[in-house]
Amino acid sequence: MSAFWYYVFTLVFFLFDYFILAMGLNIQYGETGILNFAYIAFVALGAYVTGAVSMPNSVGTGQQYIFGWGIPFPFNLIMGGVAAMVLAFVVALITLRRLRTDYLAMVLISLSLVFYDIVNNYVRLFNGADGLYNVPEPMSGVFHLTLNAFVPFFALVTGAVALILWGVMSRITRSPLGRTFRAIRDDPDVAAALGKGVFRYQLTSMLIGSFYAGVGGGLLIQFGGSFNPTAWLPGETFVVFAVIIVGGVGNNVGLLMGALLVETLLIHLPAFLPNIPGHPGLIEYIDTMVVGVVLMLMLWFRPQGVVPERLRRFPQPAGELANRDGHSVAPPEQSHYVAAITTDDSEPKDAQ
Amino acid sequence: MSQFWLSFGFGLVTASVLAIAAVGLSLQFGITNYINFAYGDFMALGAYLTYYVNAEIFHIDIWVSMVIGSLLMGVFAVGVNHFLLSPFARRFTKSFYVLIVTFGLSLIMLNLLYAIWGSNVRSYNMRIEQVLHIGPFLLTKNQLIVMAISIILMLLVHVMLKTTRLGKSMRAMSDNTTLAMTTGIDTRRVTTVTWFLSGTMAGLAGTVLGITEGNITPGSGELFLFVIFAAVILGGVGSIYGAMAGAVLIGLATEVSAVFINPAYKLDVAFVILVLTLLFRPNGLFAQPGKA
Repeated sequence: MSAFWYYVFTLVFFLFDYFILAMGLNIQYGETGILNFAYIAFVALGAYVTGAVSMPNSVGTGQQYIFGWGIPFPFNLIMGGVAAMVLAFVVALITLRRLRTDYLAMVLISLSLVFYDIVNNYVRLFNGADGLYNVPEPMSGVFHLTLNAFVPFFALVTGAVALILWGVMSRITRSPLGRTFRAIRDDPDVAAALGKGVFRYQLTSMLIGSFYAGVGGGLLIQFGGSFNPTAWLPGETFVVFAVIIVGGVGNNVGLLMGALLVETLLIHLPAFLPNIPGHPGLIEYIDTMVVGVVLMLMLWFRPQGVVPERLRRFPQPAGELANRDGHSVAPPEQSHYVAAITTDDSEPKDAQ
Repeated sequence: MSQFWLSFGFGLVTASVLAIAAVGLSLQFGITNYINFAYGDFMALGAYLTYYVNAEIFHIDIWVSMVIGSLLMGVFAVGVNHFLLSPFARRFTKSFYVLIVTFGLSLIMLNLLYAIWGSNVRSYNMRIEQVLHIGPFLLTKNQLIVMAISIILMLLVHVMLKTTRLGKSMRAMSDNTTLAMTTGIDTRRVTTVTWFLSGTMAGLAGTVLGITEGNITPGSGELFLFVIFAAVILGGVGSIYGAMAGAVLIGLATEVSAVFINPAYKLDVAFVILVLTLLFRPNGLFAQPGKA
């Protein structure tokens, strides 16, 4: 296994992992319209819990952490996902019912900063600023892999997890539940007027998304074997937003595309560039700025993303669907959602 | 007890810094009706512009540098609004887009600061002041000046809002932009001036934060952001006087709590107050109808 393939599979891992993270944020933001600026906090909680439950009891390891139950691989991942859901449940109870979008975003970004502060300062929780390390390698008891063999192996495991989660997510977005989510995204008041309990659906969406966040975080810590606060600065949430907006909000294929373009090509490929002498970290800073600029340009020039949300067709009366020759009529050129965005220019802004 | 009064004194200093920041954020929110998530980085950039003037090129007095740095921030904020935020706000009806843009702007500005000045802790070029005993308080001269600046600024904002044509236009726009437009208020001009004021106050707040804390880092503004949000939400979003009151309460609460709990968590107290506000009085202490 040459170094080249090692890097390639590292990129493949991040592609699949960010695909999972993007699906989680997409159901919250892209499908339901919850602007979750604390997303990375849920990812981090998932990662920490996955790590901490799989590690042996903390006595004698030189680290301080809670749990330490030695739980094997797929189960610790699920526990990480569930932990993120628990946090989401508490957050949603406090905030979702009361707040409009930008207040919610304010509270969530505050949560993300405070959670960061607490994990950093309260060392007994997850070993503080040093973070968790020496996390047991998943399935080491079964396969006995070397580090070089582990990377491609785990990239494929992540791919399998991503595939399962993708299948589940497709079912959710195509179900009546998914339709209700999109109705709430497009106009919560209309959805409420049609008898949909907006809060309950938003809560459900938060919970599903957070599970994906937790699992994605858990895979991160299992891949690297360590996790510390520098990995989840509040700005990291923005990277996931960039993935779903560049790829295409509300489209699962678009999310994979976004993960490829943003996470793999923009964020991780430049990490292999040699450092500019005398300026450590400069490439990383410039790289992050480029992500921000790319996202703004995308929002301005192609807000629907690289792969736009598909127009969902529902059965219509046969007379409307077919023209006189018996051929079906082509659907309108642009999807409803895209049309809603592009017509915004002409719409007068409602007085608030 | 003396411990308590000492913390109370520090609380007044924090409240002064916080009041400048919170009023700057509230002014802009009242006019444009979206939150600027890059505000913390506006503060940090202001602090670094002051640092640049104070310690890197002109080597002039910290207070003069502060004025120059803050005014530069005001100009920067006008530019950001004109070229970035206002086009997005006009094009998209949903507030999602412009919020994400400010979030992205925050990331760009933070990394720009890191790229230019690095992650080292910097401090201003100023004299080390002797600590003065004033009543039960123990404060430096610089801290007293910061408090004076804050009080004067709050009075100026009050006078501006209540007596000047600009201030009345701002209040009118904050209540109802469309109605203000129909009465002949040049809303674009008022928006531009508001961004200038907001940027200037962000720069000022960032600098005085650096002066009172004794150091500046690129991330210092961002970590302070949730404390500002707590003050603004406690006071009622969009309410200027609420922001002032919220700043005083949060400033005192964070510093006084350091007497009772580990000081490492003192800022998190602001978040606890934020959550309690949301649970029991979600529109804030001085709620404005129709804003929440």
